[in-house]
Amino acid sequence: MRRQTQPAAGKTFANETAVDFVIIGSGIAGGSMARELTSRGFDVLVLEQGRHVPPEDMEHDELGAFMNNRWTNKPEDSPQTWRKTPDAKTEKRHFLQYARVVGGTTLHFTGNYWRFRPIDFNEASVRGPVPGANVADWPITYDELEPYYTAVEEAMGISGETPTDPREPKRSKPFPLPPLNVTGPGVLLEIGSKKLGWNSKAAPMAILSQPYKGRQACHNCGFCLAFPCEWGAKSGSNWSMIPDALRSGRCEVRSDSYVHRIETDDSGRVTGVLYFDKDKKEQRQKAKAVVLSANGAETPRLLLMSASKQFPQGLANSSGMVGKHLMFNGNTVADGLFEHEVNGHKGPVVTRITQEHYIPDPSLGFFGGGGIDMRVDVPAMLRTVAMPPDGPEWGAAWKARAQQWFSHSAAAYGHTSSLPVATNAVSLDPELKDAWGMPAIRTTFKEHEHDMRLYKFMQDRTMELLQAAGATKTYAQPITDVPGSAVHLLGTARMGNDPKSSVVDKYHRAHDVKNLFIVDGSSFVTSGRGQPTMTIQALAFRAADYIAQFATKGEI
Amino acid sequence: MSDPLPERFTVSRREFVAGLTALGAVWLAACGGEQGKAAAPDSSAAMPGMAADTQAPPQKLVHFSPEDAAEVEAMTVRIIPSDDGPGAKEAGAVFFIDNQLAGMVKEQAPLFADGLKTVAKAVTAKHGASAKFSTLTAEQQDEVLRGIEKTEFFGALRFATIAGFLALPKYGGNKNYIGWAYMKQAHAFEQKPPFGYYDLPANQQALLGRVL
Repeated sequence: MRRQTQPAAGKTFANETAVDFVIIGSGIAGGSMARELTSRGFDVLVLEQGRHVPPEDMEHDELGAFMNNRWTNKPEDSPQTWRKTPDAKTEKRHFLQYARVVGGTTLHFTGNYWRFRPIDFNEASVRGPVPGANVADWPITYDELEPYYTAVEEAMGISGETPTDPREPKRSKPFPLPPLNVTGPGVLLEIGSKKLGWNSKAAPMAILSQPYKGRQACHNCGFCLAFPCEWGAKSGSNWSMIPDALRSGRCEVRSDSYVHRIETDDSGRVTGVLYFDKDKKEQRQKAKAVVLSANGAETPRLLLMSASKQFPQGLANSSGMVGKHLMFNGNTVADGLFEHEVNGHKGPVVTRITQEHYIPDPSLGFFGGGGIDMRVDVPAMLRTVAMPPDGPEWGAAWKARAQQWFSHSAAAYGHTSSLPVATNAVSLDPELKDAWGMPAIRTTFKEHEHDMRLYKFMQDRTMELLQAAGATKTYAQPITDVPGSAVHLLGTARMGNDPKSSVVDKYHRAHDVKNLFIVDGSSFVTSGRGQPTMTIQALAFRAADYIAQFATKGEI
Repeated sequence: MSDPLPERFTVSRREFVAGLTALGAVWLAACGGEQGKAAAPDSSAAMPGMAADTQAPPQKLVHFSPEDAAEVEAMTVRIIPSDDGPGAKEAGAVFFIDNQLAGMVKEQAPLFADGLKTVAKAVTAKHGASAKFSTLTAEQQDEVLRGIEKTEFFGALRFATIAGFLALPKYGGNKNYIGWAYMKQAHAFEQKPPFGYYDLPANQQALLGRVL
């Protein structure tokens, strides 16, 4: 047995060299853009805000991961504010979370890799308008994205099984790897689904079930969600896309490089970027073109911070849509206690899902839908420090209860769509600054009333599922109109054909700036149903395909 | 609502939830009583020599006086007693708390200092001027703690005790992963299925009628 080692750094570019593409961000979008553009012969420099995390730094550190933002953005140097509505008072709050490291949030994600379905691209025209939300069709369809979903599955080694549900869209190829070994929560999900007459299937996961392309299969250590994978079996950008890009010999990944401004010339073209290096010293990097893949929070923030005389509302923001329509995906939780040991903390977090309620009955009167998994996704400390409200909080009785709860319980999660609401937005805080003197993120967010009904509907289904699976006790966690924090950051630079109502075109080119491309969760028009990463990556693969063609034809 | 993190030691489910709902299952409130039985032994094997975790420091005080540490330790022992297996004492939870107050959560030091004073006052009022929390009987100690269990200090102490039982040994507690062992959480970088009752192949077959 050996741990995965990482390839040595690739090329090095000088600041004054105008690199073919400067990519801002090394998460799944930026990493994929780097891999796909270098494979087509272009030079690429990836600038990443955060640090590189070597395998020896991948401790099973629950306190660090969950309580001290070991991998994620920190309130100490990057404070944020939040307000519920545009007229509400702003307060300091660490609300939007993302991993600030090479690999981005895929360094420590769960690895759910669901494709969207056709409805996720055209639900607005299928269902019609929703009051208080700007639902719109995407400028692309499932069929246009399907070849890229397939390419992603192949590049990443996605584990899964060919669906038996006739409601699922067609796939041009089977999964490259068989499903992960099913764990206790997965079996319980299947038992419950069967009793209820629901379809269920092995979860499509970005975790290797077998060795693949020089990487090792999952070793079932169990420290998955919120932890990096020291084996390299979880296919985050850091283990899959970035190493491929580096091996091309045409890529440099410059970590600890915080881009705070995209620079433009008098003709309105991007010329490069300004960034703070490790020592907070400002550097200027030249670029022929820039790909912005900084996530649904940092992407709009950087565009807004790059305002100039020529782009007074912020770069690429003539539509005024930059930062608007922030979406998170709904996430409901219910817990069940079971007669026997589940031990869901061992092995991958998710091994089986049901998408029976992907498209709930339209007569229920809400937009969207979702899917359900069963899991235990946190280690002992977090799982036992706050248990359901019907038991002792300390003493011998707490201790025995905690031991039983940790081994005998599982949670059923409802992962859902969420609506694009114009006032739900990322903007620049007018007063608060970060440790580099740049404006802090200010988020305005409140759930749409339709979504609140959808969340309740989905949580009711998860309660049914737990009961059908044999839970002796079930507990529904409260649903609130503002989540505690948000990790899926979507919709803040939406794509569309009309420059008046969208930020990028269907090829992710900014309507306003010819050599600026924006590729990440911010491109989403609607949220999809719960798991966005696969679609972010497929969009990146597709964008790179077209952008390379534009570059070859001299159209950038 | 303020930042959850600077207040992380005041526990409070509110901050906890504020920081974590999107990541994991945590509860808004917890009180009341139910007792369960311990789970069956763990079959997973740790891989020798695979540990990447930072070495644990020697367990010694850097923040509390020995007298205060004795009081804090006595409280942690009532929160996680050593009854059916090791508790806060064997894990060295007090060293975790001591370490954290000297470093990562310095801002909580006054809360703990005030909390110790409050407890001392309650103890002397009831048991005489020379009484200390650590010299009371377990029943007397529980009574004192019940009197403060809704306070911010107790919330912080409770969270810190659980964290001192279960956070990585490098933070000062969870000596030799003793807390993990009690919870049957393996310190292993590789584990082999089956992991529990439901994923045992024979049980899967019986429960699902599925041939494996």
